[in-house]
Formats: sequence, structure tokens, C-alpha cells
Amino acid sequence: MKIPVGIPVFVAAAGTDPRFAKMVSRWLVCAGLWLLVASVVGLLEAVRLIDVEILADHAFLTFGRLRPVHTMTMLFGWASMALIGLAFYVVAKSTLLPMHAPLSRTELFLANLALALTNVGIAVGAVAMCMGDVNAGREYREWPWYAMAPVFAAVGICGVLFYRMVARRAVAGIYISCWFVMSACFWIAIVVLMGYQTIWKAGIPDRIIDGFYIHNAVGMWFTPLAVGMTYYALPKLLNKPIYSYALGVLGFFTHMVFYTVIGTHHYIFTPLPMALQTTAVICSVAMIVPVWASTGNFLMTMKGERLAISHSYSLPFLFVGVVGYGLASLQGTAESLRFVQEILHFTHYTVGHAHFAMYVFVTFLIWGCIYGLVPRMTGREPPILVVAVHFWLALGGIAVYVIGLSVGGHLQGNAWVAGEPGMESVRVVAPYMVWRAVGGLLMFVAHIFFFVALWRMRPGAFTMAYSGGKS
Amino acid sequence: MAINIHTSHRLLLALSAGTYLILVYLCAVWPAMVEQTAMEALPRPDHGELVARGREVYKSFNCVTCHTQQIRGDARRAYAVDDRVVVPVLEADARFGREVATRAEEYAWQDPVFMGTQRIGPDLSSTGRRLPESQWHYWHLYDPKSVSPGSVMPPHRFLFTSKEPSGDTSAYHEEVIVIAGLGVQGDRLWATPDAVALVEYILSLNREFLEVEGLGR
Ligand code: HEC
Ligand code: HEM
Ligand code: HEM
Repeated sequence: MKIPVGIPVFVAAAGTDPRFAKMVSRWLVCAGLWLLVASVVGLLEAVRLIDVEILADHAFLTFGRLRPVHTMTMLFGWASMALIGLAFYVVAKSTLLPMHAPLSRTELFLANLALALTNVGIAVGAVAMCMGDVNAGREYREWPWYAMAPVFAAVGICGVLFYRMVARRAVAGIYISCWFVMSACFWIAIVVLMGYQTIWKAGIPDRIIDGFYIHNAVGMWFTPLAVGMTYYALPKLLNKPIYSYALGVLGFFTHMVFYTVIGTHHYIFTPLPMALQTTAVICSVAMIVPVWASTGNFLMTMKGERLAISHSYSLPFLFVGVVGYGLASLQGTAESLRFVQEILHFTHYTVGHAHFAMYVFVTFLIWGCIYGLVPRMTGREPPILVVAVHFWLALGGIAVYVIGLSVGGHLQGNAWVAGEPGMESVRVVAPYMVWRAVGGLLMFVAHIFFFVALWRMRPGAFTMAYSGGKS
Repeated sequence: MAINIHTSHRLLLALSAGTYLILVYLCAVWPAMVEQTAMEALPRPDHGELVARGREVYKSFNCVTCHTQQIRGDARRAYAVDDRVVVPVLEADARFGREVATRAEEYAWQDPVFMGTQRIGPDLSSTGRRLPESQWHYWHLYDPKSVSPGSVMPPHRFLFTSKEPSGDTSAYHEEVIVIAGLGVQGDRLWATPDAVALVEYILSLNREFLEVEGLGR
């Protein structure tokens, strides 16, 4: 029988409150559905950069409107919801709450309510943007305020729930995963408030907020949550302690200080205050410390576990995700340097970096945590062949995607420096738009396999039978 | 055992929240306030109602995903001309024909700001000067490939009509000269008010700014 490394899953899952398992599973299944929706949209956009005539006669489906539908749905529908779902489980486990009732009835209701609110926000946001109500030029907050409001409320609810769970923990110490989860909920609330405030909405002040928003959204929400989940899942699956807890603490604090202030690296060579630009570049380099404190920590924990990794269906995802975190961030550091910015800014190379980071790092870690942890909660394992196909298609797809855009981005940037007329740089990247579409297609197929596996892990008869009499 | 961050969730959250708020103040709120004060000293530009409406159309189609409106410059190589600081344009941005990088004043009071972060298409901040013909823009909007072979800009045919406009809004339509390669079904074509406004907005882009300054092209 296929068993994740460590204790058999059904022992781990026995006694788990089925209502809790269902709640977590709902977050994950909704995230999986949004992943499929956003992948279709992304694929459509990718294909359109090859042939513009596809669905071109509908104003509500134009490229400009669908692009934020793809990004917002991926970020807040897929990554955010999957991480929140996992966080419920990880916080409950790492605070040693009794798994037969980790949340009270009211708390469970609130968690489900938050789930509903998030889904409403994402759907409303997508429709509103297609109708033309788009917060243009404000990346990752293109939703009108009435779409962000329910999502904001949902994160607030979850933040309070996480805090309460930590507050009534059954151990003295607070595990590092909970540090990241609790803090991230506070950080993202501030980030969203800053993104939607109406005081600095014009001119250069607006762009200062914009740089802050873009990088704090990815850096103070997705990154800490993904890293926090890994701090729990990796030692758990390997059945050994994390290599160095102190390194984790160092990573937490340096992350908080450096990541907050690097936003202006999106606005190098602009009229934004020079002091902000320089701070951003210096701290982007300093980001090497928190990134490698975590990446190194994870890699050292995995050291000597090659056999375990190759025999598990979840650890390979975690391994790729950890390496992805280190490399994508190094790439980001390089991109922030002025001489690199001069050539690669505005090119497809940035889109390659965005996908490298959000996919090879965040998305692979989410998958690793889902495959590693969900069976321990529901007692049901995914079909191993489906997981294997998922892994290789996703890895192959993103490799084609990122390599294609990186090469294309370089050619694009060099054509610009050479002063080639506008159309030349469009022609030069054309072949790499095909690479991206092919890679994207492989990724999309991988996501279908993922969804099948996820569906097979949902709580079922087993969870009911072994739930200690409760149902 | 003394209270510490490892055992007190209150202290832990207070620390991460407090530090964060201070940093947010330093790297976002404070600089935004300083720049806001600077901006408030500048007049609110008024390009007229039509341009304002065109700007809304530009916003609603999110053209900024593919087009920037910023010419980058290297402030470390800035020099002075008659008491004014001139920031020379980066080599990579020189092809748009400006000699001076975009400055803070040019964005004053713009909401939203269409600086952009990606260039699938060219920078538009000087398009009004490079391509001053409204008819060219109608052809281009209707079918970009008709004037720029190989373009990946989406066609905006839904902003045009081949039915002769009548009634209240007819005055706001504009007839498009039908050229070969446009692929129009009938033999006449009109730009809807949205298209007229959009083109007016693009033509307004930094047409005057640098001439007023007397700083080259
Ligand atoms: C998919 C990306 C994309 C979108 C969305 C897009 N464009 Fe373009 N645009 C391009 C490309 C590529 C070019 C260069 C080739 C050409 O001239 O068509 C271009 C060229 C232009 C030009 C000519 C600029 C010059 O100086 O040569 C204008 C004007 C323009 N676009 C306006 C718009 C407007 C207005 C919108 C929104 C309604 C828009 N574009 C949306 C990709 C896009
Ligand atoms: C040390 C860490 C990192 C640094 C220094 C860094 C740096 C950068 C820089 C300089 C850009 C702008 C590129 C350009 O427009 O020219 C960028 C873009 C981006 N980065 Fe990172 N990055 C880091 C990590 C990450 C991580 C972990 C994620 C995802 C979780 C991420 C997501 C993105 C996204 C989505 C963009 C695109 C933004 C846009 O198009 O406006 N980055 N990054
Ligand atoms: C099916 C696979 C995917 C395909 C085909 C795809 C395609 C695309 C396309 C075509 C764009 C627009 C790029 C441009 O304007 O040039 C884009 C942007 C983006 N996508 Fe995806 N995508 C996929 C998966 C994902 C996933 C899983 C995530 C996040 C978890 C994601 C996050 C983003 C982000 C953040 C951007 C904005 C990048 C930037 O502004 O630089 N994508 N994607």
C-alpha cells in the first residue's frame, strides 16, 4: 500500500472531527476549482498573444480585462484559498488541539462563512472586471472595492480564528508555522487597506503605494504562508525535527524587515524618490538572508533523505518547491539590480519570474502540503499514478513556460536597447509565445490530474467511521 | 519562565504587527505624504471632457496591461538646464524619441496613473506626437494588423459601427475613411463616441508638455 513517509495515514486521520475535515477540504476543493478556471483564462490569454482573433469580438472578453481575471483568480482564488485551508489544519496540529474538536461549532460556522465570502468576492470580481469595472494600472488589486471587501472580511475572520486557536494551544511554545500564519493575516489586512485607501490615489503617491502593494502582497502573504506550511509539513513527512529552529526564527524576522521595504524595485529609473529606489535595491539583495535561512533550513532537513523523497508522492513536490523558493528569489534579487532592470524591465522575463515564483515555489509547496497532509486528515490517499502524471506534467510545463519567456524576454530587451522599431521586438518574441502556450497547456492538463487526486482525498466514509463516534 | 515571543502569542503578534506598522509608515505612508504635498502644489491639468472620457475608456479596457506611459531615465546622470534638472533617457527607452525622462509633474493628479509595468506594445507617452492622425488610430483600433502587420494588439471592432448613426448621439460619432485591408463588410464605417474619445485621449498624450518646458523634443 502507498503510504506517505512516517506514520500510516489512517492512524493519523482517525478521530479527526469530520466537520473540520470537510471544512478544510472545502477550501481546498474550491481552490482547485478556481485553479482550473484561472488556468483556462491564462491559456486563452497565452493563445491570444499568438493569434489575436480568438474571441476578439466580445468587449467583455478582451485581453486587458481577462488578464486581471487570470491573475486575481490565481492569486486569491487558487493560492490564497489553498493556503488558508492548509493553515487551518497546520495550526490545529502544531498547537496540539484535540483533533476530535479543534474548532467550536461557531468557529466552524465562521470558517465556512469565510469560505463563502471568498468565493463570492472572486466571482464578483471576475464578472465586474469583464464588464469594464477594472482598477486599471493597479496590479493585483484590479478588483473593484466591492469584490475585495468580502475577501478582506474573510481573511479577517480567518485571522481571528487562527489567533484563537494559537491562544488555546495545548503546548507552551508557539511553533514557527503559527508565527507565519498569524502575522501574515495581520500583514495582508494592512496591505489590502493600503491598496484600497483613497488618500493617495493620484500621481506619484499612488505609485509609491503601488510598489508597496505589489511586493507586500506576494511577500507578506503568499510567501510567509507557503513557508509556514512547509515548516510543518516537511519535518512531519520526514518524521524528524527541522534542521535548525533558530534559523527559522532568524528567517522570520529578517523576512519581515527586508520584504516590507523592497516594493519600489518595481519603479527603478522612475521619478519615485531616489531614497526609496535605493533602499529597495539594497534590501532586495539583503533578502538573500531570509530566503536562504528558510531554503537552507529545508534543504538541510532533507539531506540524506533521498530514498524517502523518491518513495513518497508528496515530498518531491516539497523538494521542487523549496528549491524553487531559493532560485526564484535569487532571480528576483538579480532583477532588482539597476543594470538588469534597464534591459529586462517591461519584458516577458518578468512574467517568467512571476510564474517561476508563484508556480515552482508557492504552487508546488501547496501541492506538496496537500498530498502530504490531507490524507492524514481524511484517511484517503490519492491514486498514485494520477499524482505522478500531475508532477511530471506540471514540472515539464513550467520549465517550458519559464525557459521560453526568459529567452524571449532577453531578446525583447536587447532589441529595445538596440533601438529597433516597435514591431521588431514583437516579432522577436513571437516564437516564445508558442513556448508559453505549450507549457501552459501541459500545466493545465496537470491541474486536471491534480483536481482528480484532490477529489479522491476528500473526506468520505472513512473519516466518518473513524471519527470517534461523532458525525 | 519569563514571558517571551516563543510562549506568548500576544507578545509575538504585537511584535510582528508593531514592527510592520512602523516599516509601512517609513516606506509607504511617509513618502506618499511627502509626495502628496508636492503634488498638491501643482495645478490640476484639464484636457477637456472628451479626453477625460477617453481616459475612462482606456481604463475600462485595461490597455495599461500592454502599454506603459513612462520613459525611464537615470537620475544619477542628471544635469541642469537653466535651473531645471534634466534626467537623460535610458538607452533602452531612447527609441520613443524623447530626450528627457518622464517627470513627477507629468503624472500630477492622474487617477489612475497609467505608468504600467509591462510593454507588450510600445510606450504611449509620446504617441500623440509620433502619430498625430486620428484616422490612423481608427484603422489601428479597428484592426491593428491593417496598419502594423504582425501586431498582437487585439482588434477593437466593437467600438465601431457600420450603421449610419442617427439621433442624439450621432454628433459624437466620426466617420472612418475605409481603406483596403480593413476588412469592413459595408463600405462605410463610424467610430462610436467611445472610440472617438479614446483616440482623442491618445492624441492628447504629452503633446505639449515638453514644448512648454522648452526642453528639446
Ligand atoms: C495584447 C496587448 C495589447 C493590448 C491589450 C493593447 N495593445 Fe495597443 N499595441 C500592442 C502592440 C503589440 C502594439 C505594437 C504593434 C501595433 O502598432 O499594433 C500596439 C500599438 C498601439 C498603438 C500604436 C503606438 C505607437 O506609438 O506605435 C496605440 C496607439 C495603441 N496600441 C493603443 C492601444 C489602446 C488604446 C488599447 C486599449 C484599448 C491597447 N492599445 C491595448 C498591444 C496591445
Ligand atoms: C528575494 C525575493 C524577491 C525579489 C528581490 C524579487 C524581485 C522582483 C523584481 C525586481 C520584480 C520586478 C521585475 C520587473 O518588473 O522588472 C519582481 C516581479 C515580480 N515578483 Fe518577485 N522577487 C522576489 C521574490 C518573489 C516571490 C517569492 C514571489 C511570489 C510569491 C514573487 C512574485 C513576483 C511577481 C508576481 C512579479 C510581477 C510583478 C509585476 O509584473 O508587476 N517574487 N520581483
Ligand atoms: C495554466 C497555466 C498558466 C498559464 C497558461 C498562464 C498564462 C498567463 C498569461 C498569458 C499571463 C499574461 C502575461 C502577459 O501579459 O504577457 C499571465 C500572467 C500572470 N499569471 Fe499566469 N498562467 C498560468 C498559471 C498561473 C499560476 C498557477 C499562477 C499563480 C499561482 C499565475 C500567476 C500569474 C501572475 C501573477 C501573472 C502576472 C505576471 C506579471 O504581471 O508579470 N499564472 N499568466
